[in-house]
Formats: sequence, C-alpha cells, structure tokens
Amino acid sequence: MTTESIALETRELGVTPTPHAASQPSASIGRRLTAIVETSLVWVVLLAGWLAAAEYFPLGDNPLIPHPLVTARALWESLPELWTGTLSSFSILIPGFVLATLLGIVSGIAVGTSPRLQRALFPFARVAAPVPPTVYIPYAIAVLPTFKLSAIFVVFIGAFWPIFQNAVAGAHALEERYRDNAKILGLSGFEYHWRVVFPAALPHIFSGMAVGLGFSFILLTVAELFGANAGLGRFVQYYADFADYPKMVAGILYTGLITFLAMTGLEAIKRRALFWQR
Amino acid sequence: MSQSLRLEGIDFSYDAQRILAGIDLTIPAGQFVSLLGASGSGKSTLLRLVAGLKAPQRGRLAWNGKPISGPGLDRGVVFQDYALFPWMSVVDNIAIAIGKARPETGKAERRAEAVDYLRKVGLDAAIDKYPFELSGGMRQRAAIARALALGSPLLLMDEPFGALDPVNRARLQDLLLEIWEAASPKKTIVFVTHDVDEALYLGDRVVILGSTPGRVIADLPVEFPRHRDRRSLFDSTAFHDLRESIAETLAADTLKQLVAV
Repeated sequence: MTTESIALETRELGVTPTPHAASQPSASIGRRLTAIVETSLVWVVLLAGWLAAAEYFPLGDNPLIPHPLVTARALWESLPELWTGTLSSFSILIPGFVLATLLGIVSGIAVGTSPRLQRALFPFARVAAPVPPTVYIPYAIAVLPTFKLSAIFVVFIGAFWPIFQNAVAGAHALEERYRDNAKILGLSGFEYHWRVVFPAALPHIFSGMAVGLGFSFILLTVAELFGANAGLGRFVQYYADFADYPKMVAGILYTGLITFLAMTGLEAIKRRALFWQR
Repeated sequence: MSQSLRLEGIDFSYDAQRILAGIDLTIPAGQFVSLLGASGSGKSTLLRLVAGLKAPQRGRLAWNGKPISGPGLDRGVVFQDYALFPWMSVVDNIAIAIGKARPETGKAERRAEAVDYLRKVGLDAAIDKYPFELSGGMRQRAAIARALALGSPLLLMDEPFGALDPVNRARLQDLLLEIWEAASPKKTIVFVTHDVDEALYLGDRVVILGSTPGRVIADLPVEFPRHRDRRSLFDSTAFHDLRESIAETLAADTLKQLVAV
C-alpha cells in the first residue's frame, strides 16, 4: 500500500510542472528536480529508519526487525517459492476479478439505464454492498467444495460492488447531448448500451476496477491466511508461524511489489482505453 | 399539403415557465427556413420538439402528414456542441448513422459511404482521426456529414456554426448552401440562429420568434436569387433594408420585454 501511494505521488509531481514548461523552462527544470529530490527523500528516510531500527534494536539472535541485507538475502532465496505462490494467488485473483469486472459492468450498466431495474435492485444493493466481504470467508470455505473456489468467490464479492456501483454512476453520468444523439440516430437496445453507454461509462468503470483490484488483493491474502497451502498471504503466515522474520518481511515486500505492478498494469490499460478523453 | 412540416398551436412549458405559446408554422418541403430569435425565445426548444426529443403540452406536429411522436431517421439533427461520440473515430461516427439508416449495408460498404460523405464536407484528411484531434470547424463538418449520411429529407440545425470563428463560419455556410443547392429534390432545412446576416444569407424565409413566451412575431420571405454571392449580397440595398427591418423587429421585442419587467 505504501509503495503504491508513493508511486502515485511521484507521477503527480512529475506531471504538474509540464504546463509551465513552455513559458518558464528553467523554473520547470528546477521544479522537476525538487520533485525528484522530495520523492527520493521519502525512500531515503524510510531506508535509514529501517537501518537504524535494525542496528539499534537488535533484540537477540532473531530480531523482529531484520536487517535490510538479511531481508534482501531472504527475498533472493525465497524467489522460487514466492513465484509459485504468485501463480497460486493469481489463479484465484484473476478468475475472481475478471468475473467481478464482467458481471459488474453488465449489471451496472443495465441497472444504470433502467429505472425499473434500479427501483427493484437498489434497496438490495444498498444493504449488501457495505457488508465487509471478509466476513464471508469462513462461510464460503465451509459451503464451497474447495478452498480455491471459496477464495475466488470472496475475491469476486470484494471486487464486484465497487465495479457495479461505478458502472451505475457511469451510466447515470452519460451526457444529455450523447443521449439525444443516440436517439436521433435511432440507436437502441444492445447497440445503444454497447456503443454509447459503455464507452461513456468507462472512466467511472476504471475507477471502480482500481478500487476493486485493491480489495481483491486484500481479500485474497486474508483468505489465504485461513486455508491455503500456497500463495502470497500463505507465505507470510507460514514463516510467521516459524518466526522466520527475514522471510516474512521479504514476503510482505514482495506482495507490495506485486500489488503495485498489478495496479500499474491496470492504470496502463486505462490510459490506452481512454485515449479519446482530452 | 402533405409534403411539409406543419406545426399547429404548439404550447410548451417547462417548470411552469411558458417557453412556447401558440406556434403555427407550415414549411413546404425543400424550403430553407431560418428561425431567428433572441436567446430565451425558445427557438432551440422548438427545434427539439420537431426532432421529437421533447413533446409539446398542446398542439400538433406533423412531417409529411405523419404526426411526430419521437425521434426518427426521417429527421436529421445538427447541434451546436459537436455531439459526435468522442470514443469513435470520425468515420465510425458517420458509419454508425449509415448502419441505422440503411441496415442492409455491410461493414465495408458503410465505411466507403461514410468516406464519401466526409470527402463531400472536405474532411479527406481526418477520416480515421478522433474528435479530440479535430478543430471545432472540422467537428462541425463531420456532424454535417453525419446528418447528411442519415439521408433524412428534413435537416434540423441548432446554431450549428454558433461556436465557430468568423472565417470558419462563412466557409461552413457556403459549404451548406453548396450541398443543399446541389441536391435534388432539395432537403427541407430549419436553421436556428441568432445572427441576422446568417439567417438572411442562408434562408428562403426568415421566421422570427419573440421572447417570453416564444411566439412567431414575423415571417418574411427572403427573395434574393440563389447561388448567392456573399460580397455583393451584403452590399446590396435590398439586403441592407431587410436586415434593418429585422433588427428593428428584434429590438422592439427586446424593448417590450424590458418594459414588461
């Protein structure tokens, strides 16, 4: 989570000066330098804090805060195991998230364009959406035949609501002039939803997907703490049980990196898909 | 007369505010009518009623003898705010209209036809571009191409050149006249504007709406011969006199509003 927010900040800081670039080139370079320094400063401080903690609070042979170098070695040694864990985790995350995206978009756009469906389903959605999806985990594990299936279900629930809600909002946000144009051209039914409402709602849908992806990772790792025999959350839990803190911290860092990469990938897809938005 | 647009006793209110009151208007097929009025005269609303995007509280609308009850492909519309779909390329924006107007056409056929319309409005270079890559004038050319591609015999234009700079505005006026004069049979055009020069240069007839509520306060024929030349027309005494009398009518209406308030 920290990695992600820092990365977001970097991007913003990097982008802000550009509008002034033409008028004040020197000021812009100065600002960009400041931005780089500010961003790296956070990393330097964090690393220094970690080093200091490891140096001055050693606490015996197996410190709770392992030295960065020890952690790095643990990370290197665990890479094959972490990679297997990543594959296992993604075999849960991808089906759950993709299913949530497809159903969230289809049902969100259907509800957002039909007052009747909205009247029928909104009261239910209002009650069901705020239920923290983590509470479903034990029940899903008990009800569904395999752990994998229950984990996929929980990831699905977590990602579905934000995508659904944003798709509804996106369908509502369709500008009147585009709606009028669709009417003038006689667009209706599937064609209207697919070629007008869906693309118009995409900016909202991508926001929902970003939130949903974040939830997916949280639910995935939490579910893995319960009953997995592989996976990223399972890796951290397993070495915590053995008090192997270097591997545990390495697992946390690795999971952060994977989450960050997934978010960045989604962001890249969003930029490509919304190229027409200027 | 069934080949015509007929409006009878149209009343339209919005939130208890009377926008249009007792509009009677008959426009024969093939006529180019400029609908002139100050802002607040309800001229855009009147156009939306004809387009079928809104329904009047009272009165009857019919196009070629058929009552207007909703939008239809027999009426094409060009709005001021370039309502091309921004997520579709220019050619796709036109092709989707062709697909609706002539569902029997194949994909390649639609594209070819769309390209033809884009050439007609001088957009050869922008065929596969997206709306955000085009200037306001180019977008409005594309919007005209789309309305033409629908093949509707009636074109409703709501201040289509209102947001353009004077040079582009004049160019697009000439383009519109060129296309309209070349077609046979001629399309019926209702062109909403608040620019007196534009109304006179384009129209066969100028219908003036007064404000609050909107009603017809003048209906004048514009009898300058076609294939009009902008320069000599604007310099002529006849043009000047007509322009003055329309300006006076509009000013008198505005004054009446001020006195009433």
